[in-house]
Amino acid sequence: MNENYIVNIVLPVLLTLGAPVVGGLLMGVDRKITARMQSRVGPPLIQPFYDAIKLWNKRPVIASRLQPVLAFSYLGFSLLAFGLLMFRQDLLVIVFTTALADTCLITASLNSKSPYSYLGGRRELLSVLAYEPVLIMAFLSIYMVTGSFLVDEVLAYRMPLLIQLPAVLIALVLVLIVEMKKSPFDVSASGHAHQELVRGVYTEFSGYTMAMLELGHWVKVTLVLSIVTLFWAPNLLIGAALSLAAFFIVLVVDNSYPRLTWRSMIKTTWGVGFILILANIVGLNLMGVI
Amino acid sequence: MTAIVLGASSLGLLYGERFIMTPPPLCQTAVLLMDFLLLGYFLYVGIKKRNPLVMGLTVLQALPMAYFELMGWGHHTEPVIVVDRLSVLLGIIINIVGPLVCIYAISYMGEHEDHLGLSKSRQGRFFLFMLLLLGAMNGLVVSNSVYWLYFFWEVTTLCCYELIRHDATEQAEGNAQKALWMSLVGGVAFVAAMYVGHYAADSIAMDRLLVAQPTSLLLIGFGLMALAAFTKSAQFPFHSWLLGAMVAPTPVSALLHSSTMVNAGVYLILRIAPAIRGTSLSWAIALIGAFTFMLTALLAISQRVSKGILAYSTIGNLGLMILCAGINTPLSYAAALTLLLFHSLSKGILFMGAGIVENRLNSRLIDDWEGLLGKLPFTTMTMLVGMVGMFLPPFGMLLGKWVAMDAVASSPTLEGVPLILLMVIGSAATTLFWAKWLGHLTILPIRERHSDPEVLLAPYKLSLMTLLGINVLMSVGVAFAINNLVVPILVGSYGAALTTPGLGVNTGVGTFLVIPLWAAFIIVPLIGIYLARWKGGSIETPYLAGENIGEDGLSFRTIADSESEFKVAGMFLDDVIVEDKVARFGVAVGALLVLLMFVLAVI
Repeated sequence: MNENYIVNIVLPVLLTLGAPVVGGLLMGVDRKITARMQSRVGPPLIQPFYDAIKLWNKRPVIASRLQPVLAFSYLGFSLLAFGLLMFRQDLLVIVFTTALADTCLITASLNSKSPYSYLGGRRELLSVLAYEPVLIMAFLSIYMVTGSFLVDEVLAYRMPLLIQLPAVLIALVLVLIVEMKKSPFDVSASGHAHQELVRGVYTEFSGYTMAMLELGHWVKVTLVLSIVTLFWAPNLLIGAALSLAAFFIVLVVDNSYPRLTWRSMIKTTWGVGFILILANIVGLNLMGVI
Repeated sequence: MTAIVLGASSLGLLYGERFIMTPPPLCQTAVLLMDFLLLGYFLYVGIKKRNPLVMGLTVLQALPMAYFELMGWGHHTEPVIVVDRLSVLLGIIINIVGPLVCIYAISYMGEHEDHLGLSKSRQGRFFLFMLLLLGAMNGLVVSNSVYWLYFFWEVTTLCCYELIRHDATEQAEGNAQKALWMSLVGGVAFVAAMYVGHYAADSIAMDRLLVAQPTSLLLIGFGLMALAAFTKSAQFPFHSWLLGAMVAPTPVSALLHSSTMVNAGVYLILRIAPAIRGTSLSWAIALIGAFTFMLTALLAISQRVSKGILAYSTIGNLGLMILCAGINTPLSYAAALTLLLFHSLSKGILFMGAGIVENRLNSRLIDDWEGLLGKLPFTTMTMLVGMVGMFLPPFGMLLGKWVAMDAVASSPTLEGVPLILLMVIGSAATTLFWAKWLGHLTILPIRERHSDPEVLLAPYKLSLMTLLGINVLMSVGVAFAINNLVVPILVGSYGAALTTPGLGVNTGVGTFLVIPLWAAFIIVPLIGIYLARWKGGSIETPYLAGENIGEDGLSFRTIADSESEFKVAGMFLDDVIVEDKVARFGVAVGALLVLLMFVLAVI
């Protein structure tokens, strides 16, 4: 009874609150690895936390009265989505909740009347259009194998998903690139400024509002990586290794490809993503698995 | 007054048992007489406006109807009226949302006629058809005799035609005639379905047809009814009349899109769905719905006119409901019902809000609606909540969409995959067009300017607040709505598919935690507001890659110190999604799919 209470409530809450920490560390790893790929030394591992704390303590400047509320809502709803995952809830509801978080970010960037921020917001919308259908199709294929959308049931499924759904995992890497705002799909904003975009959706944020957006972004990246972990559910350590491998692949891709236009982005994620997932489903069907 | 009576009576029926009635023969004769009067009027319209389509389609139903009656085939239909739980759900939607729209119209039509500068009010005529439409819808959902169903169907066609041409402009006249002929196609299909019913099952009573041996002839009959439903619910290839209908005064759109007219088609498909379970016909219906949903979501992105977005969104959501009805499992049926309920609650708000804004700004272009939140805070806040209610959790509409996804996913693999592919693309495009509109409305000026306070007439406030209140309450208490409105319908022919354990809704393959999501939905922004108060911050002008000029931050110094202004404008992607082209593609594919539907019904 007592143990159940810890596993079912205390642990998920702790994990959810730990998400920004994990995400921050991942960002540190990202910067370190990227630097090495470019023959630089790179900042310390916990640099992202220094940055966030510094941002939080800066003189508050906002672009509109709604902006801080929406920035916090973005963080809050991202955490909510992550919490749903940790409480082993419904995968589709998790996607819809991230859509809620995204809408907060997009509204925040559209409502400050600024050309760069507005442009970034529009492109962020296109990014959602690029990855959301692929993500839902991936969850659909998970459902077809495991018979449930509940993370709880997916975890209880005996065979590692990777064995049955290898192509779907590759499609998820595409989603991860968009979610991490990495090249070639960093159309709405990216870690560094682009000439025509400045910092896209983030342009009009500074100080504490920017810190909240950073945190929200970390949580979302951790969320997608945790979903990748599900592909080796019987042993989550192997799953974690799998997600780190996916993370590394994204960094390699980021450093080897120039960014694309939003049109090519949607063509690629939809074209490649859908074909991979459909091929996987049809293949399983032909083999009589589903 | 009417509103209260209608609302109360439909709630009364909710707790009644199945209610059956056959009116005396005199009534039947009266309906017969009125029907031919109606057809006579359509013929008159066709001749007067020199519209061969209207003339031809009217004759095509009048002559077979007359023959049908001469042979006396329709006389032994019993019972004529059947009220079951499906009728009650529809009744509740019609009689709660409908009267609220009429209350709203009291204010709107006053303003509207002031705008037009009419010397003599034409409101009497307007409200006559509005209420007649509500009456006809009520009749439609309780008719068991296909003949009566057909009669009320034609009355809604009449009301729709008269309401669209209400302003008597040339454009209104043209669009009204388009709506008329498309609806008449449905009428012809209905008459043909009656013949099929007579030959295949020797009856034109709906309850008999539904349990009759499903021969392929009978399936064609159901296919014809589905065709009629597509015309009313504006599915491809008949989508264009609903877009044309936006020339009418806004309350008309609010009524057509939310609680009446378009729901008639979905109702009819829901009615026949139990009889076509597991047939290819049913799958073809689902495919048409899915295709419409996907394509209209893309088309909505390209719209610059507020009502255009709303219209495409309506067509798409109807497509989603038809998709669910076509998949025809207990779960998908439940999804269709949930969507139907919440769509009418949400769409009503949006149209009413759009009407108010339009009268204030004199523009329907959403680019002109920039920063509306500062100018009309009350109306805009209502609309914003309405928009969020259309596509985001934790609102009922999204819950319906979630149930729909679970339902499509759990249908047989290879049949379900094309449907869900169309559905996820449509769903993502839906997020895009709502979110970009929503964001555009919230642009606030950097320096607060003095603006006139927003003054709204009482009926406006009353109708908007009531509808919004019902939507939120129903979404929070969705377990109650499901247990009392949706599940009782399912129990009869499908068996309950949705359960509401604890704090959420369960589909058997997933759980939607309604109450925790609502709690988070309210608490998170509240903390955000608290945080914003605590940290605060001065509002600064945006970054413009040049020195900002003035306090408004709307212009900056550029080459050679010249002053340059900037604007932000919505994203419509209309170089990619060319409305004409895409719509023509939709009509062509839609027509092919309808053809496919009949082919599948035969084999």
